[in-house]
Amino acid sequence: MIWGAWLCLVSPLAAAALITIGGNGISRRAAGYLATLATGIAFVGALVSFFALVSRDPGDREHLSTAWTWLGAGSYHSGLSILVDPLSVMMMLVVSGVGALIVGYSVGYMDGDPEERRYFAYMAVFVFSMLLLVEGGNLLLLLAGWGMVGLSSYLLIGFWHERPSAIAAAKKAFVMNAIGDATMALAFFVLIQRTGSLDYGDVFARSGRLGGWAINLVALGLLGGAVAKSAQLPLQTWLPDAMEGPTPVSALIHAATMVTAGVYLIVRTHPIFEQAPKIENLAAGLGAATLLMAGLIALVQTDVKRVIAYSTMSQIGYMFVGAGLGAYANGMFHLMTHAFFKALLFMAAGIVIHALAGEQDIRNMGGLRELMPFTRWCFLVGSLALVGVFPFAGFFSKDSILAAAMDHGWYGYVLWVAGLAGTLLTGLYTFRMYFVVFGGQRSAYVREHFHQEHGEGPFSMTSTVAILAGLAFVGGWIEFAPFWHPVTNWLEPVARPLVEPASWMEWTSSAIALVLGLAGIGIAWVFYGARRPRPVPRLAPVERALAHKLYFDEAYDLVFYRPAARLALLLGKLVERPLIAGSGRELAAGSVDVGRGFSRLQTGLVRTYALAIASSLAVIAIVFVAVR
Amino acid sequence: VTIAILGPEVSWYLGVAAFLFATGAFGVLVRRSPLIVLLSLEIMLNGANLALIAFSRHHGRGDGQIFALSVMAIAASEVVVGLGLIVAMSRKRVALDIDKLNVLRG
Repeated sequence: MIWGAWLCLVSPLAAAALITIGGNGISRRAAGYLATLATGIAFVGALVSFFALVSRDPGDREHLSTAWTWLGAGSYHSGLSILVDPLSVMMMLVVSGVGALIVGYSVGYMDGDPEERRYFAYMAVFVFSMLLLVEGGNLLLLLAGWGMVGLSSYLLIGFWHERPSAIAAAKKAFVMNAIGDATMALAFFVLIQRTGSLDYGDVFARSGRLGGWAINLVALGLLGGAVAKSAQLPLQTWLPDAMEGPTPVSALIHAATMVTAGVYLIVRTHPIFEQAPKIENLAAGLGAATLLMAGLIALVQTDVKRVIAYSTMSQIGYMFVGAGLGAYANGMFHLMTHAFFKALLFMAAGIVIHALAGEQDIRNMGGLRELMPFTRWCFLVGSLALVGVFPFAGFFSKDSILAAAMDHGWYGYVLWVAGLAGTLLTGLYTFRMYFVVFGGQRSAYVREHFHQEHGEGPFSMTSTVAILAGLAFVGGWIEFAPFWHPVTNWLEPVARPLVEPASWMEWTSSAIALVLGLAGIGIAWVFYGARRPRPVPRLAPVERALAHKLYFDEAYDLVFYRPAARLALLLGKLVERPLIAGSGRELAAGSVDVGRGFSRLQTGLVRTYALAIASSLAVIAIVFVAVR
Repeated sequence: VTIAILGPEVSWYLGVAAFLFATGAFGVLVRRSPLIVLLSLEIMLNGANLALIAFSRHHGRGDGQIFALSVMAIAASEVVVGLGLIVAMSRKRVALDIDKLNVLRG
């Protein structure tokens, strides 16, 4: 069974290496197929591990396999090891399964791009990095995967490197993620100093010795990493800009890899978070704040991919609420269903963008209902799953998080209300997008650029979207909180939930959330979907604030970037030029002068040389005699 | 086996040797003709040779004398090279004045 996990980890890396080494030797098409095949093999490996674990006793579902000692320093050793347990296997299935569908979709989407091979090599590396992150058998390997995910996202967001905006977005994502990496590394330093190890087992067993402030510090550092990677407040600004990458990349970042890593981290290191309840509550609070903020901003976005990006931030906010409250299984379950419907939404939007010659502005779309019936139905399934309408996937996973919030005192009720408000917003922005893109009259842009013969894209795109639509429809049925909960049971040995909502809480939350979601859809219909839509009420200042994403970018620019840039300029003028550059010049001039002085000794006259030799010999002789 | 040493003390010989060496060194330092400089060098070498032989006799061992022989051989070769250089210089009509041969001045 452990070989399945190793296969799962190594196969995408092998594909990336083959594509890179093969270079022009393999065709662009073959590179795409190779990457798809490798992620498919990874999924098979994950399945093998999954079934091997299923057949075992729940108490015997944790297996650590160490290839070799990766690095050692003094008494500290870290092995190159992978951990196979219910949590990592669940993540492996999601990452490689959804990842394989997305890579397969890319074969059609990226067809004709001059740098397809580079694209597929990066995609394979991305999947490998995420698998390393979730399979790594200790915190150090997790950090390695964490950093590599950041690197791969940088490479893929900036894939179209001739666009300055793509480069800027890639840099922004990298820097934001680096902040999180740094806080995580600092937390690990504290752990090494206090517990002498980064192995999960040792760290969790000895985390009791950390003491009050140290445990809070470690949890805060881990939360910093999670917040940066998952694009939660206050490090969320990189995610909407990351839409500069190709659409399948966005799907991969949002569904299978990257942004879900933060939730995984919290669930994986939950013994640490449980000893720092304040930080845990902070995580849940940040999630709730993010889900509201992202929902509001999504209302005014006009780029179809950005609307979906904000919905991701919002949904990850729900997962943070779940993980922060100790409802780990619910958070992970939502992570899984979210992977299905978010990949579906991105890829369906990708089909639309593909058909409309790269247009992403929803104001230029409209009336695509009859033109793209297949895409429209898939998009509708994804939207309903996102809003959480029964019986689509989101209904089962999101509502169980809300129910868990009710079992956490007054703070839980605050989060509960925020989550419910988020549901209304979700219905509103999702169906605003849906009605604007697919409903109404055909816009001038659509009439000009849509070609019937183009259809809805090649088989590789439509088939993968269809599979995901199926998953977004039925994927939630595996757990229905009041009746059956295999996901919770599955994760029980790894992360025992802290909250146990009563059955009436489940019913109440589900009912209210469903009503609010439908209300959101209804409001969207009134303003955007009805045959004669009402004029949208305008609140200019609010709208402007939301369009500027609540001025986070401007604030960071003002508080961090500008002072830093000004300080750098000042230091350049006061230190760099006079001291560092000046000292170089002075040093050069000084050595020239000294050299010239010594060269004066070289008279070229044999007599002076002879005199020097004779007199030195005389001096040596005198000294020799005198000393003796 | 001790060998009776006839003649003056070793210090007398050393005195003569030092005088020869100093004369030669003085010649090297003050003369400008390369020919005379070479000649002065030979005088220095002979002073050193005398010291070697004197000590050799003083200690009653032969190695100093052997050393003096090799010094003579080397001095002879050196004179050949030096004189050859001087002939070549005069052939090229280079001034035979070592103070003017200062191409290596820094």
